[in-house]
Amino acid sequence: MTMVLVQALLYGIATGAVYGLIALGLSLQFGVMKIVNFAHGAFLMASMYAAVWLARYGGLHPLVLIPVVAVIFFVIGLIIQRWLIEPIYRKEATREPIGVLIFTTGLWLFIDHLFLMIAGPNYQVLPGRWANTILLLGDYIFTYPQVFGFLIACAVTLALVLYLRYTRVGRIIRATGQDREAASVCGINSSWVYQVAFGISMAVLGIAGSLLLPLYPVNPFVGDVFVLRAFVIVVLGGMGSVAGAFWGGILVGVLESVGAQLMPISMAEILIFGTFLLVLYWRPSGLFGLESQ
Amino acid sequence: MKKGTSRRPALLAAALVMTFLLAMPMAVSAADPVKVGYVLPLSGSAAASIGQEFAKGAMLGARHVNEAGGIQALGGAEIQLVLTDSRGDPQVAMTEVERLITVERVPLLMGAFQSAVTLPATTVAERYGVPWIVDMAAEKSITERGFRYIFRPTQVPSSSNADSVVDFVVWIGEQTGRKAQTAAIVYENTDWGQDLANRLRQRFTEAGIRIVLDESYPPDSPNLRPLVLKLAAARADVISVTAYATDAIQIHSLIEQMGVNAMAVIGSGAGQVDATFVPSVGERGSNYVFSTNGWAGPASTIVGPFAERFWNDYIAAYGEEPVGEFPVVGYALMWLVKDVLERAGGADPDAIRDALASTEMRNNEVTRLLGYDIVFDATGQNQEKRFVMQQIKDGVYYTVWPEHVAVPGYEVVWPVPPWSDR
Repeated sequence: MTMVLVQALLYGIATGAVYGLIALGLSLQFGVMKIVNFAHGAFLMASMYAAVWLARYGGLHPLVLIPVVAVIFFVIGLIIQRWLIEPIYRKEATREPIGVLIFTTGLWLFIDHLFLMIAGPNYQVLPGRWANTILLLGDYIFTYPQVFGFLIACAVTLALVLYLRYTRVGRIIRATGQDREAASVCGINSSWVYQVAFGISMAVLGIAGSLLLPLYPVNPFVGDVFVLRAFVIVVLGGMGSVAGAFWGGILVGVLESVGAQLMPISMAEILIFGTFLLVLYWRPSGLFGLESQ
Repeated sequence: MKKGTSRRPALLAAALVMTFLLAMPMAVSAADPVKVGYVLPLSGSAAASIGQEFAKGAMLGARHVNEAGGIQALGGAEIQLVLTDSRGDPQVAMTEVERLITVERVPLLMGAFQSAVTLPATTVAERYGVPWIVDMAAEKSITERGFRYIFRPTQVPSSSNADSVVDFVVWIGEQTGRKAQTAAIVYENTDWGQDLANRLRQRFTEAGIRIVLDESYPPDSPNLRPLVLKLAAARADVISVTAYATDAIQIHSLIEQMGVNAMAVIGSGAGQVDATFVPSVGERGSNYVFSTNGWAGPASTIVGPFAERFWNDYIAAYGEEPVGEFPVVGYALMWLVKDVLERAGGADPDAIRDALASTEMRNNEVTRLLGYDIVFDATGQNQEKRFVMQQIKDGVYYTVWPEHVAVPGYEVVWPVPPWSDR
C-alpha cells in the first residue's frame, strides 16, 4: 500500500506540474491585464491540435515540436491581443473590462466549433511509440511524457519567475500589473506590455498543450475538460501569481492522485473542490497570492 | 453593361420556367417525404465517434430504402433522415427533441445512444405522443416507465450485457481449467455504467468470483492514471472496463504502460468496440482485449445479397469497413422504419406507434444481419437480442463465444500473456 501511495504521489506531482503550466497563462493574464480569459481551454485545445499536426505532417519529434508550438502561439497571442482584445479593452479603459470577458466567451465557442469543422469530432493521438515508452525508476513505472512533462513544466515556470523578477521587461510587466496608471506615468506603453504578456501566456499554454498531448487524446472540446481544473488552480494558487499557479497545480494533481487511492475516485473530485472552497473562505487571495491591495 | 441588364429578366424567366418544369413532375409522382428525427451524440462527448457510426449506417439505410422505391403504402414517399446533434448533453437533447416535434414536425424519433440522454429525451417524446425507437441506450428503466411511445428493438437492458461477461468468464474457466477467482470492475459513474456494474457485481459474486475492486470514475476525466494505479494494486484475475472511447483509450493505454497483468481485460461493448479504439491504443495495447458486442461480426452475418450490399456500399460510401454493431444497427433500423411505415399507412404519430407495437420481424434478411428477431413485448422491449464475446487480435475482432457464432479457426487466448512476453 505504501508503495502505491508513493507512486500515486509521484504521479500526482508529475501531472500537477502540467496542470500548473496550463493554469499559468491564465494567471498571468489576470495578474497583468485583470482579464479573465474564458477562451483559455479553447486555445489549449488548439495548441494540442497544432502539436498533433506538426508531428503527423511535419514529422517532428514530440520534444522538438514544443518550441515550435510555443513560438506559433506567442505570435498568435500578440495578434489576438493587438487586434482583437485591445480595441475592446481601450473602449472600457475607465471601468471593469466586462466586454473582454464576453468577447473571450464568444471566442471560446467560436474556436471550439471551428476545430469541430476542420478536424472533425473524433479524438486524435500523437503518432509514434514515444508516448508509451516506459522509464523504470527503481520499482516505479513512468513514461517519457510524464517525466519530460514534469521537467519541462518546472523549467518553464522557473524561467518565467526569474524573467519577471530580474529582467527589465519582466519588471515592466509586473509594474503594469500592479498599477497601470502609475506605470504609464513612468513612460511605459501599456498596450505593448499587454501584447508581450499575452504572447508569453499563450506561448506557455502552447508548451502545456504539447506536453499534455502524449498523455491525453485531443478532440475539439478537450479544453473544457482541463479549463475547470485551471480556474481552480489559479484561484488556489493566488490570482496573478506565477509560482502560485505551479504549486496550485501540484496540489490539485496530488489531491486527485493520492485522494483516489484512499477513497472512491468520484469522491476525490469532492476533495479538490472542497479544498478550493476552504481556501476561498479562509484565504481569498489564494495560498500563494499576495495579501495586497 | 446595358446588354447585361436587358438580358437579366429573360434569364430570370427562363430560370422560373425551368424550376417549374422540374418541380411539377416531382409534385405529382412523389408523396411528401416522411421525416424521421435521429438524435445522436455527433460531437462534444466521449461517445461522439459512436454517434457518427450510427449516423453513417442510418444514412446508408435511408438511401437504400429510398432507392428501392421508398414507402409503397405512402405512394413511394421517401424517408428523410433529420440527424440532430445532442452533444451527449441531456439538456441539449431535450431542447432538440422539442424542436424536432414542434418545428420540424417529425412523426417518428430515434436515438439517442446514451442512456443518460435517452431517459429525459424520451420523456419529451412521450409527452407529445410521438413514437421513439431507442437505438442502443441500455439503461433498464427506459422501457419500464409505463410509457406508450417508446420502443427498444436493438438493445436489451445492460443486465444482459453484464450476464454475457460473467457467463463467458465462467464458461472459459471450465473450458480451459484456468478459472478466475477475483474480479475488478471499473465503470463510468453514469446511468449506464452503474446499471452494468450492479449486475456484474451480483453475477460475479454468485459465480463465486470475489470482487477486489469496485470503482466508478467521472466520464471524460482529465486524468485516469490514479484509477489504473488502483487496478494495478488490486491484482485481479479479471478486469471489467465499462467506458466510452476517450476513457477506454486512456485506461487501456495506461494498463499497457503500467504493465497491469490479468487473465483478461473485458470491455462492455462500447469504448473497446469503437472504430477508433485499435488505431488509438495500438496493436500491442489492444491485442487480446475482450469485449462483449451486440453483433457477431461479418463472418457469420454478412451472408447473402442484402447483407453484402450493405457491406460493400458502406465501404464504397465511407472508405472503411463497418466496425462493430453501431453502423449495422443504424442501417437495420431504417429497414425497420420502412416496415413500420408500410403497415402504418400514413405519417401520423399514433398510427406509427400502433404499427411499431405490432412489429413482427422474424428470420428475414434484416434480422439475419442483426443476428436476432424483432418482436416487442408489452413494455416496448425486444427480448430477442443477445450479446457475444469477442477478442481483438492484430486489430481484428474475433467472435469467440457463444460457440455457434464463434469465428472458425480462431483459437481464443485465455489467460492472456503477461505484458513482459508481448
